[in-house]
Amino acid sequence: MWDFLLQGFEVALTPLNLGLAFIGALLGTLFGALPGIGPINGIAILMPLAYTLGLPAESALILLAGIYTGAEYGGRISSILLNVPGDAGAVMTTLDGHPLAKKGLAGPALGLSAVSSFIGATIAIVGLTLFAPLLAAFAVNFGPAEYFALMVFAFSSLSVMMGKDPIKTLIGAVLGVMLATVGVDSGTGVMRFTGGMPELYDGIDFVVLVIGMFAISEILLMLEHDLTKGGGMAPVGRVMVSMKEVMFCKGAILRSSLIGFVIGVLPGTGASVAGAVSYTTEKRISDREGTFGHGDMRGLAAPEAANNASAAGSFVPMLTLGIPGSGTTAILLGALMLYNITPGPMLFTEQPRVAGGLIASLYIGNVMLLLLNLPLAGLFARVLTVPRWALVPGIALLAFVGVYQLHSDLMAIFLMLAIGVLGYVLRKFGFSLAPIVLGFVLGELMEENLRRALAMSGGDVAVLFQSTLAIGLWCAAVAVVVVPLVVSGWKRRRASA
Amino acid sequence: MTRLGDRLLGMILLVLAAVYAASTTQMEVPFSYDPLGPKGFPFVLAALLVVLAVVLLLRPALGEPWPRGVLLAKRGVLLAKVVAVLVVLTLYALAFSSLGYLLSSALAIFALAWLFNAGSLKALVCAVAMALGSYALFVYALDISLPVGQLFGGR
Repeated sequence: MWDFLLQGFEVALTPLNLGLAFIGALLGTLFGALPGIGPINGIAILMPLAYTLGLPAESALILLAGIYTGAEYGGRISSILLNVPGDAGAVMTTLDGHPLAKKGLAGPALGLSAVSSFIGATIAIVGLTLFAPLLAAFAVNFGPAEYFALMVFAFSSLSVMMGKDPIKTLIGAVLGVMLATVGVDSGTGVMRFTGGMPELYDGIDFVVLVIGMFAISEILLMLEHDLTKGGGMAPVGRVMVSMKEVMFCKGAILRSSLIGFVIGVLPGTGASVAGAVSYTTEKRISDREGTFGHGDMRGLAAPEAANNASAAGSFVPMLTLGIPGSGTTAILLGALMLYNITPGPMLFTEQPRVAGGLIASLYIGNVMLLLLNLPLAGLFARVLTVPRWALVPGIALLAFVGVYQLHSDLMAIFLMLAIGVLGYVLRKFGFSLAPIVLGFVLGELMEENLRRALAMSGGDVAVLFQSTLAIGLWCAAVAVVVVPLVVSGWKRRRASA
Repeated sequence: MTRLGDRLLGMILLVLAAVYAASTTQMEVPFSYDPLGPKGFPFVLAALLVVLAVVLLLRPALGEPWPRGVLLAKRGVLLAKVVAVLVVLTLYALAFSSLGYLLSSALAIFALAWLFNAGSLKALVCAVAMALGSYALFVYALDISLPVGQLFGGR
């Protein structure tokens, strides 16, 4: 069952793919370090380039996955030095990371966080290797009804876990699914919501949507950030880590790695949730002297181990079920679909080069990332001084060239700009963009499976609730929403009693 | 402010759901192999959006101010800048194939850098260096073809 790994290493160890893994790790750390540009923006911007360069599917995926995992490493740098999270996964890293830097311990903080990132990622990659083929073998039995229920579960766990506002998360997901219904209906050839525009007959292009949503709206959003005014950068010093520090944090690192992996596997929830859950858990377990939030090494190690673990964990549902485990893997899924590869339970048997190559490259990339991030963290920290006026034109260039490469017509670029404005307005209304992308990616699959299930039953809705597996998934979907409500209600009652 | 933002949003979403549903009813479906057809799923989505919008309209306010993260006094300036950036990007799109990559990019970079408070000299240096550098990277290192520009005899 694990033959794919050997084959995967054969793929990942070719010079081209090694080089791409390295470039991915390097660019990913850079993207992660830059405040405002996280893995999701970085991948969105580079996806069309990877495609037009004519890279084979597995190589493109290795590059993009390298950026994803690299960004989870890089996000810590500006969290620690500037108190500004480099990406969403590193929000919790600021809480103890920056106080450490203020105490003059920036070097050890960067070192320790690199090691915890490495341990977290390693545990999760091993988990991915062991767990993914089993899940895939199990998921082969999924029929359309089970898939539909699974996607409903993905959306309900998404709404609970992601963002502060579950209603807006759900609205975002519905809007994403609606965007996915634009274009020719594959079942009947009926035009839907195209407004008579021939450019929309094939639906809204994924690349155009993603670049508009993430690159263009980010440019607009950057207009109001003025980060240079914040406290100023702490001096880096020598980046080092001692065995004693790692041993002091070993409990925090191991627990957080497991939490991160599990949260990553849950469809729809990503690094930011993993960081938050692991930090609060660790605070409850270890914070006896009230040192958390004032520069406790464990409070730094926990979220870093967790966000890296969740990145690797989120590949599990993406590779085995075709359901992305995070906003970023939703984009990777879309990238695979550009290559006409639809991830799902058959991926490990039909495309072992892609599945195995990706997993093997995660092992290799993780080692590269540790080696890059220990000695070179000071160099990456320099990136933080890149002014916004140089960064923004760079993003704009990459966005335009990317879309132009795939569609050399003006309409695509205007559509990208329009979607960018939409994304900006939604963000101003307090939406996060990941649910929208997830909705867009899953929307078509969801409708297809629903219609297929109903076609088999002759229109009887009961087919959706017939198998034990489907019922289980529906129950899980309801439980994810109800249980936290009950628990918080119970806690409130106990607190007031 | 939060209530106002959510109310406004709720109204917009209700209108959107109505338009979406109306557009769904107008589809003509000659035949369908499956019982649901191309209309069923969109109707479910529209209904779901209505429910969510109503919840948004009726629920008590959450703590976040709206619009998020903007000082009241600076809102006018910000809006002007957002519009300016969009105008620059639109002009960039229009000029991309007619003026060619190099010239249109240099102009767009200059304008964007200037809008992000670079100062004229820095913006100029940035525009020239980044346009040439990225052209070299894309065309020579990555072998991507970029528009030369009708002005310079390209297509």
